[in-house]
This record gives sequence, structure tokens and C-alpha cells, in this order.
Amino acid sequence: MADAHQEPPIREEPPPPPYPSRATKPGLKRLLLTLTVLLSFIAGFPFLLKSTEIYRSPLPHRSIESLSGSLKSNRPFLPCRFHAVFFSSGHRLDELAASIAAAMKKRRSAAVETAVCGKCGAEFNVTVTMMAATDDDGEIGFLDGDDEAVDEMLESLLKRRGVEGGGGGRVYTVFVMEREGMRRVVVGKHRHGWIVGRVTESEAVEMIGGIFVEYFINGGKEGGEVIGENGEFMPVGADGRVVLSFSLLNADPSDWVYDWDFQKTGEIMMAPVVEALAPVANITLESQVLYHTPKSSLSYWDEKLRSYVFSIRDLPFFVNSNEWHLDTSIAAAGRTRVLQFVVYVPSAKECPLLLRLPNGEISMTNGYISPTWGGVVVWNPPECLGPTQDPLAGRRNTGTPRKTIPSMDLQKVFQVFVGQLRQLFGLKSSNVQTTGLGISNFVASENGFTEWELDVLFRHHACSNLDSCVTTLGSLSRLVQSLPRMIVMDEIGKQVKLSLEAASLAQHNASQGIYDASAVSSRKARALAEDAFFHPSIMSISYSSFEHYFAIYMPFFAPVSMHVLLAAAKELKRYKQERAKYLASRARTQ
Amino acid sequence: MDLRCLCLLSLLLLSLGFPPISALGSVAGTDEDFTEELLLKPLPDRKVLSHFHFETSAPHTSVYGRHHRIFPKAVYQLVHKFRIREIELSFTQGRWNYERWGGFDSLSSQNAKPPGVELWASFDVPPDEVDLTWRNLTHALSGLFCASINFLESSTAYSAPQLVPRFNLSGIRYGSLPREAVCTENLTPWLKLLPCRDKAGLAAILDRPSIYKGFYHSQRLHLVSSEFGPNEGVGAGIILVQTLTTVIQPDFQSTDEISLQPSWSISSIFGRKIPGQCVLARLSNVFLELEKGLVVELEKLGLEHVNMKGLSKNPIFELSGTPDRLVGEVSQKSSVFYEFNVNKYAVDDPLDLGITWKLPMVWSCLLAPFHATRFLMGSGNERGSIAISLRSLHSDLGLPSSEFESSPLAKHGCTVRVVIFQVVPWYVKVYYHTLKIFIDGKTYVLSDVIEKMHVSPSEDKLSPGMMEIIFRLPCDMRSATIIVDFDKGFLHIDEYPPDANQGFDIPSAIVSFPDFHASAYLTDKSLSNESLLLFRFQEKNHVQSYTEVLLVPLTTPDFSMPYNVITFTCTVLALYFGSLLNVLRRRVGEEERFLKSEAALKPGLLPKLLTKLSAKLRRKSPESPQPPSPSPPSSSSFVSLRLLLKVILVAVLAIVWHYYLNDN
Repeated sequence: MADAHQEPPIREEPPPPPYPSRATKPGLKRLLLTLTVLLSFIAGFPFLLKSTEIYRSPLPHRSIESLSGSLKSNRPFLPCRFHAVFFSSGHRLDELAASIAAAMKKRRSAAVETAVCGKCGAEFNVTVTMMAATDDDGEIGFLDGDDEAVDEMLESLLKRRGVEGGGGGRVYTVFVMEREGMRRVVVGKHRHGWIVGRVTESEAVEMIGGIFVEYFINGGKEGGEVIGENGEFMPVGADGRVVLSFSLLNADPSDWVYDWDFQKTGEIMMAPVVEALAPVANITLESQVLYHTPKSSLSYWDEKLRSYVFSIRDLPFFVNSNEWHLDTSIAAAGRTRVLQFVVYVPSAKECPLLLRLPNGEISMTNGYISPTWGGVVVWNPPECLGPTQDPLAGRRNTGTPRKTIPSMDLQKVFQVFVGQLRQLFGLKSSNVQTTGLGISNFVASENGFTEWELDVLFRHHACSNLDSCVTTLGSLSRLVQSLPRMIVMDEIGKQVKLSLEAASLAQHNASQGIYDASAVSSRKARALAEDAFFHPSIMSISYSSFEHYFAIYMPFFAPVSMHVLLAAAKELKRYKQERAKYLASRARTQ
Repeated sequence: MDLRCLCLLSLLLLSLGFPPISALGSVAGTDEDFTEELLLKPLPDRKVLSHFHFETSAPHTSVYGRHHRIFPKAVYQLVHKFRIREIELSFTQGRWNYERWGGFDSLSSQNAKPPGVELWASFDVPPDEVDLTWRNLTHALSGLFCASINFLESSTAYSAPQLVPRFNLSGIRYGSLPREAVCTENLTPWLKLLPCRDKAGLAAILDRPSIYKGFYHSQRLHLVSSEFGPNEGVGAGIILVQTLTTVIQPDFQSTDEISLQPSWSISSIFGRKIPGQCVLARLSNVFLELEKGLVVELEKLGLEHVNMKGLSKNPIFELSGTPDRLVGEVSQKSSVFYEFNVNKYAVDDPLDLGITWKLPMVWSCLLAPFHATRFLMGSGNERGSIAISLRSLHSDLGLPSSEFESSPLAKHGCTVRVVIFQVVPWYVKVYYHTLKIFIDGKTYVLSDVIEKMHVSPSEDKLSPGMMEIIFRLPCDMRSATIIVDFDKGFLHIDEYPPDANQGFDIPSAIVSFPDFHASAYLTDKSLSNESLLLFRFQEKNHVQSYTEVLLVPLTTPDFSMPYNVITFTCTVLALYFGSLLNVLRRRVGEEERFLKSEAALKPGLLPKLLTKLSAKLRRKSPESPQPPSPSPPSSSSFVSLRLLLKVILVAVLAIVWHYYLNDN
């Protein structure tokens, strides 16, 4: 290589004296040759790039951005309408409506602003009507007697009247009946409540606003508390499925072995809950009984209570992850969320076991929840409440007789579990304790969730699913953009597209006020987005890095391009010189 | 369940080709059941075999529902998710010594397994879904047992045998991973399937260090379900049998008498005693087996009948603890089992069964009709041959003595059937036409000795080669050797496993003898209620043995080779290209003219400067004003200058590149 280069460059710099001029036109052959080579190299470069290109399915980055932008600036909400019914005359309806809306606004402004998911939007659509106490079909009466009966009666009344007006969304109603007697405020299990008794108009307005905001909008959570902010406490798996795994733990089977009739009690009690939550999550149940599962922290004996007490302070050490092989479920592969519900049967040497609340009282349910993990209930077997017996007495026989948890006790345990499930989903375990508004009663639903609570969940889930979908898609888009040589499969592109479609459908449904459909399609959008993000082809990043690419092509292209470029430059230079000489000599001859 | 029903049931199962794991006793079919049993057996070579047998069963879903109190949830879900009819999974370390630990008893034919992981599975799914189900199953199992069973997922790793006698169901899949290391992380999930885990009961003595320092250990999981398929609703729904077989050398206490068998106890083997039974177990027994050879020797020494009475005052050995029962075989001169019921023991009074020898004993174990070994022949990295050699172990013309009267063979002109099943990975390209058989050193025509043959040649990167052959070999032969040649293939660079230079394993071949059944004929008819372990021993099992794993060295490339090739080729090409280009634009006539007038030449400004620089670099005085003469040294200095320039150029390029990349 070296000797090929040896000669020309030095000698060309100054025009050599023996040839101060030339008579012939300089030849173009060599110049053309080198230029052709150079040009063909330059022309071939795009082909090379094309041939080594990595397949990337085009992702709709722009529409992802616009979706996330629109969600940020304009939180999706499901419209709600509020309806107050006065069973008395002499009210000015417009004023009443305005004042109720104002009362609601006041409460709302104290609470968290509309930036949070699951609200009904910034504006309140309040209507007020008056109704005669005597209906066409019969006497409404004084709304006294059994709360449940009244609840059903009002529900049928609303159905008959067909209050559904224009615009979508759920209609929440509060009935007010002014009469003598004790004031009684009840929230029903459907979408209405009622106030009966001596109540002034301004009190009624205040109270109606309170019921609307605190219960029908916020789902019974007080003030600052908001259901699962940003979906952090959403116990639904990314694929929209939840497995409720029930485990009965016998801490020491040598003392007693307890069995349960999950088939009869558990399945029957949980079935309505599963059905009610179907739009939010696809729930499946499974059960197991485990043995030799002591808890990992010790309790202490309390003489006054004649029992062992476990304080809330030690709760983080209650679940013994070394010995409790609760396990995830094989049936629920993938991104399904598993919620563990554990019945803990203490051993003879720590029985009866009670949980002590921070305020020194003993827990009524004898259980606790751990957000996103599940719940634990301690069930004390009847033996340990009776006279203490020698725990070693029964050891030597052929095994402890098997006993079954009495059906009554098991029902109680499952009631606690339903309450815990409500808490895990972000509602109150039961609304009875609420005192804020002087509500006298809440009518409970058979399936554990009242209709207005389910509405709150639907609203919340629709919104936070959309949020998480957009976050996931945004991360995917950023990831793909940041790795220019990552392979993006067609399937991912398809999933992203479908997810975006589902998201916009959910948004559309939400604005139309179709609750179930928007919860379902937002769930689908989230599941598809997660599928795209966790697609196996992304997980196993086998893309060739730029360095790799460079290392493969450099050994050829670096030396060759040097030759080609230098040759072209030299030839060009020489040609110019020679031409100048030729021109000069021609000028001289002329 | 009455007897007639039971018979019908086992007939049904047998006709379907199931190993006759059938409904058991009175409890089966109505409630879940769990039993735990342990068998201890002194081996002729001073080791002790311990065999744990845990059996869990669940009634049918249609009868009992899908919630269980003992049966593990994970296994139930596994069965239902993949519609499993039967799977057998084993994790083994060490090799079963067929010559010293026995090859003709139920224990060895059921529990001797090849090293690594072995998985058999049969599903109740349409034939076109079997492979998909298998793949999903391997993933689920590898998650469940913390093992790399998912390597069996690829179609090059498993096969579909048809002639192996025990598994003549359709839709069978078989795969094995000879190199899988088995350790506690596999044992812990296996124990988790037991209701008491290792917290109580017999499993409590499973001390990990003592198990894993043994000579052999094999944990096995056998799952039979009748939840699906034509016999749905018959018998027990799912039966899960978990066995753990270990061979451990007890510590020698007395070294003075070499011929004395070592005295041992449970605590000296495992370091723990049995702290009572698992409260959930219906049965919890420990057995001590004295095998046939030992019983014969004992009787020679005067112990007329090794019965309960003779046991207490015998001069040969002493048992710690008194057995509750003696289970002997029907015929005299057969193995006996001493039974100890664990439910009589508790934490403060643990069971520590042991045996102390007073007289030296030498005996031999029951041997399989043939001893099978497999080895490689040939050298080099190109080709070789696999040889499977069968050596007759019974001097009386291959026909085992008294207890094999069930086999319908006469002494003269008789033949023995031998089934050989071998799976070879695709990169060992076996040429099946080269199959040769030598019997007692003489070549035989294959068609004379082969009864049936099923061969599926390997496809590159698609499926392994599988060979199943049923041979009919004469009874009186001494040895037979089957040889087949192979070529070694080349793998793609990313198909090599880590540490490719170690070589590649060919999984064990299975050699089974369908004419011989290893089963213990015991006196008790009601065994299924009293011991499932012995009940399983009574079942008819084909005698089979596994051969060694072969290690084939393949040509392993230098793994940096692709880059070397790229750089080398590119450099050559670049050289060629550059010189060609230079030749093309060379002006020969002009150069000659230049050469002539070189003396008058003055160097240009840049070369001048460069020479000065190079002179400086060489610590020469810069005041050598002489223009460089056209002599060779100057030209060489130019060359080096140019080189220097190039180097600088490349360095600058590299720096620019680096900054560019960093900005990214």
C-alpha cells in the first residue's frame, strides 16, 4: 500500500520546473474512474443501511402522546346527575337546586380537587322536584317502618316514574319528607337515600349536599381520603383478573386439626360478590388447607382478658412467609393479581388469640388487611375457650381427630372477608360507624356492595385503568424511541393500536355515562397495553447494538473509504493543476 | 367399594395400559387420603437404602368438588390446567448400581432413574395439542420445582415413544435432561406438596446434608389422574405418589473387622430420629427389609425361619425396637419386611430404628437378567459409534431361577424379549442402517432377532433421533452388543451451551425386559389398607434398567471466531481494493520522468515541516537544513510519517465517534 502512494503527493505541490506548462488537455480518465468509485460507494450506502435495517413496526407515538395529553388536561369522568325529591310543597325549586349545588361545591372544595380519579366531574347537575305524598298507584306513607322495605318501595317508585331524563350517567336521588318526629337519615342500597323527620330547608340542603358528595360521589370516604389514589391500591391484576385464594392455616395440627366446608359456605357466600364485581374484575376463587404454619411473632398473655394478645404494632411480623406456603396460583398465570385471605387457627399454646388495636381495644373482627396482599382473620377454636387441658394429652393416639369449623363461625369469618375485600377495593369495611353527617342507617346489600358503591368503583376503575394504560403506552413509546436498534414486532404495534382504540372507546363511553361498558373497555385497554409492554420479544432484548454494527462494518469500510476518498481528492487536485497549467500555456501561446 | 367393583376397575385400568395404580381400600373415592411410609434396607456393599413413599389421593371432582384439605392445590390445578392423565417426574443424582443394589426387584425397576431430570407425560387432549400442552407443562413444572425443566420445551429435547412397554398410551411424551444438577432447591418444593412438609412425620428426618452427600438419591413424583378421558368418574380421582430413594453409606464404627456389616440406625444415617407421625397421615409405617439373598444366608446360619420369635434371640443381628408385624413373602427363601408403626412414637419418645450386626454377613442381591452398559467407540471429532452391550448375569442360561416361573420360557430354543429405547440429540446423527448386532461375538442378521422396531430419524434443529427396538434374543447367550454409527454434526454458534468444551450428554437409554416382572408376592391380601408401599411393590412391573449417560465431545469453535473472520476478511478485501484502485490511477510514464528529474526537486512546505517534526521526534537536531535526498531512508521516513498521519486520523475519528455516541 505504501509504495503505491509513495510518489505523487510530494511532487505535485509545486509545479515542477521542467514542465512549466502543458500543451495538451489533461486527461479525464483517471479522474472519472476514481469519481465513479466514490460515487458508487456513496450511492451504495443507502442500500447498505436498508439491508441492515432492523424491523420496527411503526408505533403511533403521536396518538399516544395526544391521548396522555388529553387525559392529563382533562380527567375522564363519568357524569352523574343528582335529584332531590321533596314530599312537600312551597319550595322554590330553582333556588333549592342552586343552593344544593353550592353546598356540594363547598364540600367538594374542602375535599380533593377534580384531579383525582373516579369523580363526577367539576359541574354538578342538580334537579329538584316536588312530589305529592300520595302516589297514583298508592300511598307512599310516611317513609317509616323497616328501612329495607322503604328502600325497595322508593326504588319501585323511581322505576315507575322513570326519572331517567336526558343525558347519560347515573341518577342519584335523595327524598325529603318533612314531618313531626325524630330525624332519620338513611342511605339505601340502590342509588337513593331519604331524610324523614323535622328538618328545615337549609338543613335539608346541607344534608342532601353531604349525602351526594360524601357517599354517592366519594363512596363513603371522608374528606381527604380518596379511593386508591393513582391506582396504587388497585387490587386488580393488569389483565383484569383477580384470584381470591382462601387458606385455612392450622398453626399446629398436633393440637387440633380444623377443616372447613369451603364448597358450601365459602363459595356460596362469595358468589354474589364475584358477580357484583364482574365489570371491574374477573374474579376466581380457590382454597387450600395448610398445616404447621405458626405465625412468626410471639403474643403475650393478658390476665384480664384471659387470652393471648397480639398488638397491632407487631402485625408486620404476623405473616410468616417462611412457613406459610400460600403460593401463587398455577391457574392464574401471567399478570393476574392474587389476593390471599387467611384464616389462622392458633395452636393450643397461644389460644385464644386476640388482636389489639392501637387504641388499646380488642379488634372486633379479629382480623386485619394488608393492602394489595389480602387479609388475615384469626379464628379461635372453641376448645381453647373451655377449660385448659393438657396439650400433650391427645398426642400419642393415631392422630388428632379432624374437626370442621362450625358453619355459623365460618359465615362470620366470610362476612369479615367480604368487609376486607371492600377495604382492599378502597371502600369502607362497613359504613355503619360513620358519624359525620348524622346518618342513622345504611341499608346493606346482599352481595356486600351497594349499587352506589359499585358506581364509585366503576368510575374509579374506568379512570385509573385509563391512567395506567396511558402510562404504560407512554413508557413503551419512550423505550422504543430510546433504543433505535430494538426490534419491534408487528404484534406489538397491533396491540398498541387496539389498546388505543379501546381507550378512546372507554373515553367515549365515559362521556356518554355508560358505566359498565367504560369500565370494561378501559380494562381491556389496560390489559392490551400491558401485553404490548411485556411482549416476550421485548423482554428478550436481542437487538444488536450500534457498537456491534460498527464493529462489523468498520474493518472494511474504514480502510476502503480512506483509499477512495484520498484517491478522489488527489485526482481532482491534480486535474485542477494540470488544467491550470494547460490554460496558462494556452493563454501564453495565444 | 366391594371387591367385584375393584376388580372391574383394575381390569379397566389395565386394559387402558395404565400401570395398575387403582382405587385403594375403603377410603378411596370418598375422601382424601394421605399415607407416609419408609423402607430401610441394608445393601450387600455396606450401604443402606432408604426409600420414602408418600401417597396422597383426592376423589373425583364430580363427587368431591374442587376444594381439598390435604391434596396440594398446586398439583390439582396442574392436572386440570393441562388435562394430565399421567406424569412421572424424577430428579436424580448419582447412578443406581444395578449389580450391587439390585436390578430385579420392584424398588429398582420403579425407582432407579437416570441422572438428572426425567419426565414422562400423557395428556387427555386432542393429538394436535399434545405438543403445546407439553411445552406449557414443562414451564409450569420448572416453576413449581425450581428446575430448568423448561429446557424440555424445545422440540429437539423430547420425543414420543410408542413401544416402551409401560407407556403404551397414545400421546405420550418423554424428555430427559441428563445434566440437570439436583439439590435442595428441588427438594423443598417437592416437600411442600406434603401436608406436613418436613415439619412432622417421616419427612422430618430428611436432613439435607446427609441426603446429598449420599451415593444416590432420586426424588420422584408420579401423578395419575382419572379426571378426564373415557374412564372418567371411575376410581380415585387423582393419585399423587412421591418417593425419595437414597443410598447412604453409614459411618463405620468398628474398623477392626472388615467383613462385618456396619451397624446403623436412623439417627446415625440422617442425624435425626422420627418424631412421631404426621397427624394427617392415615398410615405411617417404617419397614426394614431383609432381602432374599440375606434371608437365604441367615437360614444357612441356622435361623430357621426369620420370624418374630426368632428375632429377639438371634446370634447374627439385633434390632433396636420391636417390630409390630412381620410381612413375609409367600414362598420361602424370600425377602421379609419388619413393620414398625410410627403412631406409637412421639416427640419425647422418637423412633430410632437400627440394626447391629454380630456376625459378618455376605450376600448378593437380585440381579436383572442382563446387565446393560452403553459406551462410545471411535475417536476424533468426526464420527463414532454407540454400543449397547448386554451381559447375561444368570449363569443358568439367562433364565432366572425359581421365582420367574411366570415367564413362559422353555430352556431350549427359547428367546427373551428385550426392548431398547434410546433418544439421541440431533447433532449426533445416527445412521440407523449401520445397526449391527453381535451375539456371543458372532454377527446376526437383524431381521432374525428384531421383533418390532420404531425409528424416527433426527431432523436438524427440529427433532431428536429416537430408536425403539424389540429384540428377541436367545436365552442361552452370554452377551450381545448392538452397535450403531453416527456422525457428529455442527451447531450454530449460539446453540452451544455454556462450557461447550465439556462435551454433550446423550441421555440414558432404557433397556427393559417385558418377559420379566418384578413384583413381590406377599402373604397379606389386605395390604392396600395397611401399606401402600408394599401394595405398590406387589404390582406387576416390567424389569427395566437405565444405561449410562454418554458424553460426546463435539468440535467446539473458538467463540470469538465470527469477529476474527470479519476483521480478517475485511482487511484483506480492503487491501485488495486499495491496491487495485492505486494501480488503476497510476501514471507509469510520468513517474519515470519524475524519477529522472528528482535531483532538482524541492520538497514542499508540508513535507518539510513534517520532516522537521519527525526529526525532532527522533531527537535529531532540527538544523539539518539539507533537503531530504531521494535516498531510501527519506522515503522510509515518509512512509512512517504517513503511518503516523493515518494513526492520528483514526484516533481523531475514534474520539469524534466516542463523543457522538456519548451524546446519544
